[in-house]
Amino acid sequence: MPHADPKGVLTGVHFMDGDHAACEGALAAGARFAAGYPITPSTEIVERFAARIPTVGGVFIQMEDELAASIAIAGAVWAGAKAFTVTSGPGFSLMMEHIGFAAMTETPCVFMNVQRGGPSTGLPTLPAQADMMQARWGSHGDYEIIALSPNSPQECFDLAIRAFNLAEEFRVPVMLMMDECVGHMTEKVIIPPAEQIEIHPRRHTRLPPGEYKPFAPGPDLVPEMVHAGEGYRFHITGLTHDERGYPSMTAAAQDRLVKRLKAKITRAADRLACYEADGIEDAEVVVVSYGITSRVAQRAVEMARARGAKVGRLRLITVWPFPTRQLRALAPHIKAFVVPELNLGQIVLEVERAAAGQADTISVPHAGGGVHDPQQILDAIMEVLK
Amino acid sequence: MPKGYVAINVERCKGCGFCVEFCPTHVLAMSSAFNSKGYHPPHVVNPDKCTGCDLCGMYCPDFAIYGWKAAESRNGAKRDAAR
Repeated sequence: MPHADPKGVLTGVHFMDGDHAACEGALAAGARFAAGYPITPSTEIVERFAARIPTVGGVFIQMEDELAASIAIAGAVWAGAKAFTVTSGPGFSLMMEHIGFAAMTETPCVFMNVQRGGPSTGLPTLPAQADMMQARWGSHGDYEIIALSPNSPQECFDLAIRAFNLAEEFRVPVMLMMDECVGHMTEKVIIPPAEQIEIHPRRHTRLPPGEYKPFAPGPDLVPEMVHAGEGYRFHITGLTHDERGYPSMTAAAQDRLVKRLKAKITRAADRLACYEADGIEDAEVVVVSYGITSRVAQRAVEMARARGAKVGRLRLITVWPFPTRQLRALAPHIKAFVVPELNLGQIVLEVERAAAGQADTISVPHAGGGVHDPQQILDAIMEVLK
Repeated sequence: MPKGYVAINVERCKGCGFCVEFCPTHVLAMSSAFNSKGYHPPHVVNPDKCTGCDLCGMYCPDFAIYGWKAAESRNGAKRDAAR
């Protein structure tokens, strides 16, 4: 794979928060367009982008609302840019239509959501992880997206790059699901030299205008794109379309298109699965967590181990597509999964589905506005082992 | 026999030329005639080449042109559904 353009890479050792790190990740990945309607606690991402982009060469537009921001990035992508938008809960709700549009038109783009407490205006300055299901299911119709969940500023940087790379590889909207704690947490962030950052280039066709079909998939089910302005003319529509991009509203065309949109992601699920596992080999209980909660869970696991409990830790980095197969393989060997999260039980449902009755699944919910006390997670672990 | 047809609503046209530019089979050209607003609308110069694909209709900002396939009725179900 080619390397990052050094212009966007702020190589060095930094002390920065997760929001700023996510912005630097986007710049390193080659993002040269962002549109947003800044919202706490994600504002620092676009604030930094607006400050940095004149020196790198690109555009930031503060739009009139989140609908405009989320569709502006689709336009920018088809014009040739790598583009993203940034938001939090209420804005994420408004962006749902265009997440579906990006999925249907196979527009590679990145949505960053720094989650705060909800529903509605909720807790603008306080954390939650309650948009995890919305990220997967928020737009109407059947589609697949990819969602990544960082738990440190360093990972905000790393996963922002990964998000753009996956968006280009699969031509799909990718969600970077941060939370207020990770977004506002300041830690060491190492930005490597540009030549050590691999960038997945846009998949451009080699076929000439006339032969090129904009939605004819390759062997991995992903079609190729074109350079805007080189004489390729076609229609990009959210209507069910055929390989030429023409609306084709029949059950057969729908079957062909929507099944492909789903399959291009699900077929690659094993390759996309990314998690950090610790001590799961001989564990009786495995704590499954993601984002900021994984750091609280780590403390709880250490406390449980100090009491002699056999506890493993599994931190989801790719949340969607959910690593069902991997968790299902683990389930027969353990007593229970314990799933703490800053919501009233979302990803725990996926864990339960993956466990398929082979292990118990214990939810440790939290309504948001803070993080768990490690004791709550410890209590759930010890309850299983009682 | 052409495979399709286009209809032009001359009075709605503001002469942007998108349909002429984007027609895949070069069916259209800008005419020298004026509509009542003083714009030059397009006219059909190669009727036999029209496939009725309606790309002109999808691009037209003013709903001033549309195409239909010879096998369909001019105001048939396809146009109603293609919102």
